[in-house]
Amino acid sequence: MKKVLLAPIDPVHDVGLKMINRGLKEAGHETILLPPDLPPEEIVEAALRENVDCVLLSRTLGYDVAEHTARFVDLAEAAGLREKVLLGIGGMAIRPELGAEMGFDGAFGPGTTVAQALAFVEGRPFSEVAGDAVKRSRPDLTAGYTYEYKNTKIQALLDQIVDQFMTWAADRTSPAVERAALRKAMLDAKKNGEDVSQLRQAYGKLCTGASAAFYATGALPDVVREVTQSELEQLWKYCAQADSKGPSPDIRRGGAKPLVFTQYGTGCLVTDIAHVKLLEAWAADGVVHFDPSWGARTEGFMEGVLSHRGDGTIITAENLFHIGHSLFAHTLFQVRAHRGLNTPETVLLAGELGAHLTKINIAYGSLAGGTDPERLAIDAFEAMRLAAQYGLPYDVVTNEELAGVPAHKAFAGMLATLAIGRRLGGRPILQPLFCKGPEALIRGLMDDNYVDFNAAKVIALRSIIDAPIWPGAPVGFMTHTEDRVQSALTTSLHAALGAAVGVDAVSIASTDEAYSGGPIVSGSRVDTLRGVKEALRFFGHAKITPTAAAETMANELVDKIVTVLTQATETGFVAGLYQGIFGNPDDGAYPGRAGKGSVTRRTECVR
Amino acid sequence: MEDGKLKPLSAMLDGLDIETFFMCRDEAEGRNLMLALLTQLGFADVDIVFIEHRGPGARVRGRAYLHRPGVSHPFGGQSA
Repeated sequence: MKKVLLAPIDPVHDVGLKMINRGLKEAGHETILLPPDLPPEEIVEAALRENVDCVLLSRTLGYDVAEHTARFVDLAEAAGLREKVLLGIGGMAIRPELGAEMGFDGAFGPGTTVAQALAFVEGRPFSEVAGDAVKRSRPDLTAGYTYEYKNTKIQALLDQIVDQFMTWAADRTSPAVERAALRKAMLDAKKNGEDVSQLRQAYGKLCTGASAAFYATGALPDVVREVTQSELEQLWKYCAQADSKGPSPDIRRGGAKPLVFTQYGTGCLVTDIAHVKLLEAWAADGVVHFDPSWGARTEGFMEGVLSHRGDGTIITAENLFHIGHSLFAHTLFQVRAHRGLNTPETVLLAGELGAHLTKINIAYGSLAGGTDPERLAIDAFEAMRLAAQYGLPYDVVTNEELAGVPAHKAFAGMLATLAIGRRLGGRPILQPLFCKGPEALIRGLMDDNYVDFNAAKVIALRSIIDAPIWPGAPVGFMTHTEDRVQSALTTSLHAALGAAVGVDAVSIASTDEAYSGGPIVSGSRVDTLRGVKEALRFFGHAKITPTAAAETMANELVDKIVTVLTQATETGFVAGLYQGIFGNPDDGAYPGRAGKGSVTRRTECVR
Repeated sequence: MEDGKLKPLSAMLDGLDIETFFMCRDEAEGRNLMLALLTQLGFADVDIVFIEHRGPGARVRGRAYLHRPGVSHPFGGQSA
């Protein structure tokens, strides 16, 4: 036990010093808290009289800091206090370098925690990894949800759609389904030290474009290169330094909802990992892997630790391995498989390499993601089967709303995908957009405020099914500008709305969301996370109350979802995608063409 | 601490943002002032992230990229 004298050298008491006083007492130390604004002579006199082990000063106001602290140190030295007593100083006006210059044993600037002050008093290094560590565990977004339908009419329609879909999909396959099986065989063979050359050859025959060239000749595209061992070694030093600080405190308050996810995908694996570590440091709960758009149009994945000059980070087993291993155990890792020609293998790699979540939606990927509906339906069917096998929950994204598809059509597609996923044993997560999309603009749904329409989406989905909800992606889409302050603010307010309506997670952008002149910089990621933290802190468990319009909008959404699903029972899900039931060209949705004609019956040979 | 021995640019992960308020006639002048500032500081890969001109001048945020993903990074990166 130590005896500690605490003295605010300000006209007013420093709240921080009071908190430290309480923390020291709780830790079993004896403390004496002096009144504010005592002259240095009286503080030194009190320290001598009380025979303390440690003196902690605080200074909040910025003027004459150097003079005040220098006078105290001179007096402490003259009185013989300096040699036998630990001297510390902290507060808003203190910079660590100033305290050291003045001769204090410890100096603590703004943001110092009680745990840090306690470690100083106890004469031990502050270690967030040991006893002072912030404890974080990896949450499960789907925990506690029953997936029971509250709207039995919609349940009946979805059951019918799923029955039709399962029959249609049962005997169909695609090159992506075949490649996923080959990749699994290759991973297993490598684990057993077996030769994979024949499997690799067979895999290469199912590839196109850059991937076909890679397996034929080993060539990489001009914009892709292998990351060197030297780069990785330097990167691991950076990661080790980041990890030595331990996990950051929760961005949410005491584990309250929502979890906060943010996307990476600069193209460069090294930069991505560097960004991911700072996202963790500023307390993001999860990170989302964003892959290149050309990857979605190319059959097959390359291999190796690869860097890409352009947006989106290439999916390879090796890249996912390195990203996954750079993360703290509590950080959720999502790999998207919602579009393109490699969705089953994406989920397979995510499952094999320790990712915790994936992203699948047949309607979005085929109406706004460029993939042929029939092809994506078969690939997603296999992807959802694999997700269930690996225990990977997946969000069902509805970003087709950004193309102009009305929310009710996007939601109908989302619910159909969710229902198929449930039939396959999966744990899907609803992902409505919190955005100012074309529908909202055209219909004036957000003319008064940004709360009602977003809240209506959550109200509508909650009235349909008891399932987790994770708005994205990112929240506030199309409300961001290039202004850093406005961008962080709109994201933060949308995140706060998510918290107020009790969603399970939100995906957030950086403050560079609307800046198109270059890649996202690290500082812009930090700025948004700081804003979101402040917004969640500001509102806490207080509610944001939508106007009566939200309920009306929610009822309208549900009614229109019923209409769309009724139509889909007549056409079937996949045919309905081609026919525009879930979004048509007038809405801005076009059935994708990538992979068209590549689905075959299982009795046929796809190789 | 001998500041002369510190190499702050080599510690930057990706870019440097500079924000200020320029007294200027219009947005174009504000843009030129920021680009000139960044160039005069010795940066080559520069841009305006945000600018808003009102009344007496412009609120400006300029950016200099030290590293672009896939081109270089501070961990010994090379060109793709």
